[in-house]
Amino acid sequence: MQNKFLDKFDITIVIATILMVMMGVVSIFSATYANTSGTDFYLKQMIFGIVGFVIMIIISFLPPKYFSKFAYSLYILSILLLILVLVFGKTINGNKSWFYVGGFGIQPSEFAKIATILALANFISPGEESRDPNKLFTFVKACIFIVIPAALIKLEHDTGTTLVMLCFIVPMFFWAGISPFWLFAIISPLVLAVLSFLNPTAFYIGIFVVGISLFFFKKKILISVLILVINLSAGFSVHYFYSKLATYQQNRITAVFDPASDPLGSGYNVIQSKVAIGSGGITGKGYLQGSQTQLKFIPEQWTDFIFCMIGEEFGLMGAGFIVIVFFIIIYRLISIAYSSKNKFLALCCIGFASLFLFHLFINVGMTIGMMPVIGIPLPLVSYGVSSLLTFMAMIGIALNAYRHKNLYIT
Amino acid sequence: MNLKARKYFFISFAIILSIILIARLAQLQIVEQKEYGKESQKNSIKKIVETPARGLIIDRTGKVLVDNKPSYTLTITPYNFDKSLLEEVANLADEDPDYIKELLSRMKGTNRFNPVKIKHDIDFKTIAYIEENRDRLKGVSYQVESLRYYPIKFKGSHMFGYIAEITEKQLDDQEGTYYKQGDLVGSTGLERYYENNLKGEKGSKLILVDVNGREVGPYNDGLNDIKAQNGSDLHLSIDADLQEYAEKCLGKRRGAIIAVDTRTGEVLCFVSKPDFDLSIFSGIPDSKEISKLLNDESKPLFNRVIQTKYPPGSTWKMMMSMAGLASGKITTTSTIACGGSFQFGNRTFEDHGAYGNINVSRAIEVSANVFFYKLSLMIGIDNYHDYAKMFGFGSRTGIDLPSETNGLLPSQQYFDKVYGANKWSQGTLVSLGIGQGELGVSPVQMVAYVSAMSMSGLYNTPHFVRKIVNPITKEEQVLQFAQRKIDFPQKYYDAIRKGMYLVVNGTGTAKNIKSSEYTLAGKTGTAQNPNGNNHSWFVGFAPYEDPRIAVCVLGENAGWGNQFAAPIAAAIMIRYLSGNTIDAYNENSTIKVHD
Repeated sequence: MQNKFLDKFDITIVIATILMVMMGVVSIFSATYANTSGTDFYLKQMIFGIVGFVIMIIISFLPPKYFSKFAYSLYILSILLLILVLVFGKTINGNKSWFYVGGFGIQPSEFAKIATILALANFISPGEESRDPNKLFTFVKACIFIVIPAALIKLEHDTGTTLVMLCFIVPMFFWAGISPFWLFAIISPLVLAVLSFLNPTAFYIGIFVVGISLFFFKKKILISVLILVINLSAGFSVHYFYSKLATYQQNRITAVFDPASDPLGSGYNVIQSKVAIGSGGITGKGYLQGSQTQLKFIPEQWTDFIFCMIGEEFGLMGAGFIVIVFFIIIYRLISIAYSSKNKFLALCCIGFASLFLFHLFINVGMTIGMMPVIGIPLPLVSYGVSSLLTFMAMIGIALNAYRHKNLYIT
Repeated sequence: MNLKARKYFFISFAIILSIILIARLAQLQIVEQKEYGKESQKNSIKKIVETPARGLIIDRTGKVLVDNKPSYTLTITPYNFDKSLLEEVANLADEDPDYIKELLSRMKGTNRFNPVKIKHDIDFKTIAYIEENRDRLKGVSYQVESLRYYPIKFKGSHMFGYIAEITEKQLDDQEGTYYKQGDLVGSTGLERYYENNLKGEKGSKLILVDVNGREVGPYNDGLNDIKAQNGSDLHLSIDADLQEYAEKCLGKRRGAIIAVDTRTGEVLCFVSKPDFDLSIFSGIPDSKEISKLLNDESKPLFNRVIQTKYPPGSTWKMMMSMAGLASGKITTTSTIACGGSFQFGNRTFEDHGAYGNINVSRAIEVSANVFFYKLSLMIGIDNYHDYAKMFGFGSRTGIDLPSETNGLLPSQQYFDKVYGANKWSQGTLVSLGIGQGELGVSPVQMVAYVSAMSMSGLYNTPHFVRKIVNPITKEEQVLQFAQRKIDFPQKYYDAIRKGMYLVVNGTGTAKNIKSSEYTLAGKTGTAQNPNGNNHSWFVGFAPYEDPRIAVCVLGENAGWGNQFAAPIAAAIMIRYLSGNTIDAYNENSTIKVHD
């Protein structure tokens, strides 16, 4: 009985999820403790954590075929919502990405994440036979799926979520069986663009490595040259695109490398959050005792910068714990994908895993000065109803995949 | 790549990213923890400097002469000040925006959390405005400070002196780092001389602030706070009533009055006219009023009691007498023939009368010039210089005020230097004998000298402060000022004192001030002034039998008329001796005093 239950129910990922939601509520309480407004945020987060848990469980029991069946409809619905929010939405912190319904802000872009992953998974693996991921056309078409919501979200000035939309396509193709060569062809221009931005020498070394690799892949000369050209142009054009960015975005990128360049401007959050986390030490300053958190040195620290509060008040123990629990969630998502015989659901889980990993690395990375300040939440922990429900729904789908892992297609 | 390989590849990727995050966290939270911990303290803890109240200045009867009143100072904290508010704040402070910008730029490189003082003594309307717009006016605030307040009916300008915002030069020159820009510091007078006693010790309060610099509570329950220590109080020997009276006596004339207790050197009143209102300098320094003071040709900021260098005229004759007696050139009974004028080389030196053969007391009584012309030549420049030096001429008396002059006491070297060795005539000595020529004395030197003469050689350093009292511990510090005995035979002093007695009570030059109640003694003098009317001097002491007060009055350009200085001196002595009740001075008195 016990075994049968565990066979149908991934207790590890559920416990990890609950832990993170609880951690979120506790952290939001502290982060808003010294505030005059927003003191009920932790309560809202708690209530929606429970709502999310119920939704998660319900989703886990749904017939798996529903997800592929409604994938495109959900996707089109989310696109429509993204267009609607552009027209009727409310602007908060410069992002026009909110609907207000009965006092609650709803961000369609959060739901677009899950809808796009479902649609993309459905595109790659529509029925019994998957598409060939190694066909150039398949990849190009798949890109359209993510470019549409990404563009709409970009129009809302929500750069963070736009980047999120771009993070899962490669892992999902990777899982679908794209050949190492194509993976290389897709990833190498991105890597070279970053290298070129950082350091010209690094870029030239990178080009050299790409050239050598192309030689060893032994593909047609035309394709090899084409890929090399793409790599070169990625490296050279990055500076052009950088110059096209808004000044505040440029500043955010420079602030990663030199926060002291503008301590009260773009580098402010980075410096303050590093100070908060760094001063926390191994064991932290104690709950509600973080001076940086309680004195509100970091703006809106209950959303994107919630990790500062954890680092300051719970120290390395707390911060490390968060990273490890997230790793466990990601590990379980990959394991479920691996064990699932339903390829569509497996791809969904891989999409979710990428999303969690991307969010974790960018969000935590920015608070410790490794990543630019990109406004994306820490999944399950940051305050935000839309985000919380979306991530819990993802876990619900993963639970569903686990429950039905032995079913092929139904 | 099979599915298993993909799984492990993906998991490895996740592991690597997680390890990177944890490694970076460990770097921040273990390796760099100390540094960030310090940073975090600096960040959230704001140090607020508490300025102590300055010590009070109290007169000999316990009356407060210089007090404090609370006032509000507009400040800007550069850390969170929004430059677009500059215009508005400038308006609020009624100052030029460029001036404020300059003040702020001067603070560059220092702690941006420290508020910069923009304007002293802002009114309640401004404070109310700041309070109402607190959220918008980020970085704009105010501090409570105490300003000087003078609950007195006289001015005391030169004695008390004023406090002013510290200058950049003073900031650079200070030892240590106590003073900060915007601090008020004693600039002149007692405020400056006793700055270290009066200023107290600044305190500091550590408070926790939020990102807007708003106070959210004390740090560590205030355990690290240092309470400001109020400055110590100065207890002066000044008699407020006598001071008020003396200022009234001098009226609108230019001049100086100083009276001391002959037994101690304690200053009883101290007047320099024209004077000014000290309250101009407290609060908003009114630049118009100040420039008016600076440009006034009558130099109201000049302290005539300790900074003038006028020839003493006939008031010098006691000094000459002592030099003659002490050097053995004359005795108390020897006489010199006074024929009405004196021929030296081809010059004739005049006198106002012929007195025949007279002794030293008589010479003082009638102010016989010829007696002292001759005496001066007899004693020579070296004796002249050396004995005068003993009575404090040519050097500072050491009164507890800044910027005292040395005066000018000529010597052989002095003349050699100015005119060249042997190129100056002994005739110079002749004028010097009657206190004219290249001789410069200040009223404070004169009062100390007369006091010493009256006390048979007891030379006291004139001084204001009797004791300095810590207002909290009540600990008293009684100051000791130099006192010395100028040791000459008593009969010398007696002869000189007798001369001074006769000036008032005999047939002398100040017989008009003879008093029936107190035996006054003194000497009139007129300092020749090549630039205008002569300066009128009077030095005196009373009672003759047992001196308690010595006084010096200088009337600038008051002319021949010793009707000016002598009656004022007499009035002050009488008023003091009678316990501040008798109003002996009549401003419209027409009594002529013969010099």
